[in-house]
Formats: sequence, structure tokens, C-alpha cells
Amino acid sequence: MATATFSRLVPLTAVAAALVIAGCGGAAAPKPAHPAALTPGPFAWVRPAEVPANWKVGQLPSRKAELAYPPQWRAITTDPGTFSAALLGANGAIRGYLNATPQSGAETLANWAKFRPAHNGEEGDRSVVREASATGLPFRSATGSCVMDHYTTTSARYREIACIVRGARATTVVVAAAQPGDWARLRPQLERSITSFAS
Amino acid sequence: MSLHIRRIIAGAIATASLLAFSVPALVHASSATKAHSVSAHAAKRHHRHHSRIPQHNGGDHDADNNGGPSDGDGNI
Repeated sequence: MATATFSRLVPLTAVAAALVIAGCGGAAAPKPAHPAALTPGPFAWVRPAEVPANWKVGQLPSRKAELAYPPQWRAITTDPGTFSAALLGANGAIRGYLNATPQSGAETLANWAKFRPAHNGEEGDRSVVREASATGLPFRSATGSCVMDHYTTTSARYREIACIVRGARATTVVVAAAQPGDWARLRPQLERSITSFAS
Repeated sequence: MSLHIRRIIAGAIATASLLAFSVPALVHASSATKAHSVSAHAAKRHHRHHSRIPQHNGGDHDADNNGGPSDGDGNI
């Protein structure tokens, strides 16, 4: 009787030990902190593309990057060394926006997902919310990191796709933004400007 | 003898169950705390490197100082 009971003790103890090991192993298994940052996901559309035939092409003063924009858009005043184009509303408000700026601060491809939304907040934007991000995205002869976020300025709300692109000639930031009411209509143009961006 | 062994079995199972449920929770809590503190530290460090740009035609008077979208400038 005692021997029979003891013989049952061994497998029971083994099962109990297995439970403990399984519990520890499950908790210790590495999990990606930000899955969207590791795979293209929402940025699967980022593939090198040619500039559409009827689009205009703006160039950085350094001639190290080209940003294409639709024919209805026009170049606007921007910071020295950068290029911006916009689709303006009837009252002059910016409804759609494209910008290319040489890398100028601490932004990198590695820190972009955090840097860009934080920087928007530092520039006075409110309610900055990051929606998605990805790294290792393919551009024309380049690679890049992108983030999608939205925020509120002193006069409007905007949603943006902002990418930092490291090419053979330079590392450049490209921004494509639109007001929420125009997002669905302008998004294909914003995406095409980004995918045809060259740096 | 039989009663003694039953007590040993009951004790072993109880101990194993306690470990199985408490160890993963402790490991998870430790990881979460570490991730949070690293993130908070990074955010604080980042904010020390940049200054806020004034709106209402402040800064360099471009669109993003007048309620327009933020440009790609990482400095000003």
C-alpha cells in the first residue's frame, strides 16, 4: 500500500515540476514591445515607385533629395534648405502638406517612432497620438523609418505620415499631412509622394 | 504511513501550484516596471535637448509656426 502510494508520488511531483517550469518559461519568452515597429504592417504600401507623369518635382537646395507633388498643389514658403508644397483651401488654410527637410537634429532611423511625435509636441502641437510605426522600409535607393500620427495645432487638426530616409546622398525627413476631413481623398497622393521620394 | 504520504503529496501539489501562478506574475511585473522606467527616462532625456517653438508667427515664421502642419525640422 505504502509502495503503491509512493509510486504515485513520483509522477505527481514530476507533473507539478513541469507546471512550474512551463509557467516560468511562458513569462520569460521574449515578446516584441511594439509589433508595429518591427514589421511593415500599416506601411506595407511603402514600395519604391516612379514619379507620376504629370506631377511636379521639388528639389532641396542641396540637390540631395527630390519630392514630387500633384499638379494641383503648389510650392509654399518654407524653412531655408527645405522644400514644401501644399494644397490650400479657399481661405488659405493648408489642407494637404508635403515637406522634405535634411536631417538636422537628433532624429535617426532607430529613434524615429518616438522622436517625431515627441518633437511635434515640443513645437506646440497638442494631443499628439502615434498610430503606427515601422523601420527598415524600402525607398528608391534608400531605406527608412516611418511613423503615422495625428495632432492638433493652434488652428487645425492634422494626420501625418512622417518618414526619415537614408539614401546614398543624404538622410532626409519627408512629411505628408492632411486635415482629417481630407485624409481619405488625399491619402493616395500623400503615399505616392512618399514612395516616389528620392534621397 | 499512508496518511503521511498523502500529506506529502498534498503539500507538494500546493507548493507547485503556488509557484506556477506566482513566479510568472512576478517576472511580468518586473519586466513591465523596467520597460516603463526606461521609457520615462528616455522621454525626459529627449525633452532636455529641444526647446518649444512659439506659435502665432513665432520661431522662423513658417507654416508650422502659424497653425500649419509640422515640418520635418528636428531642431527648431
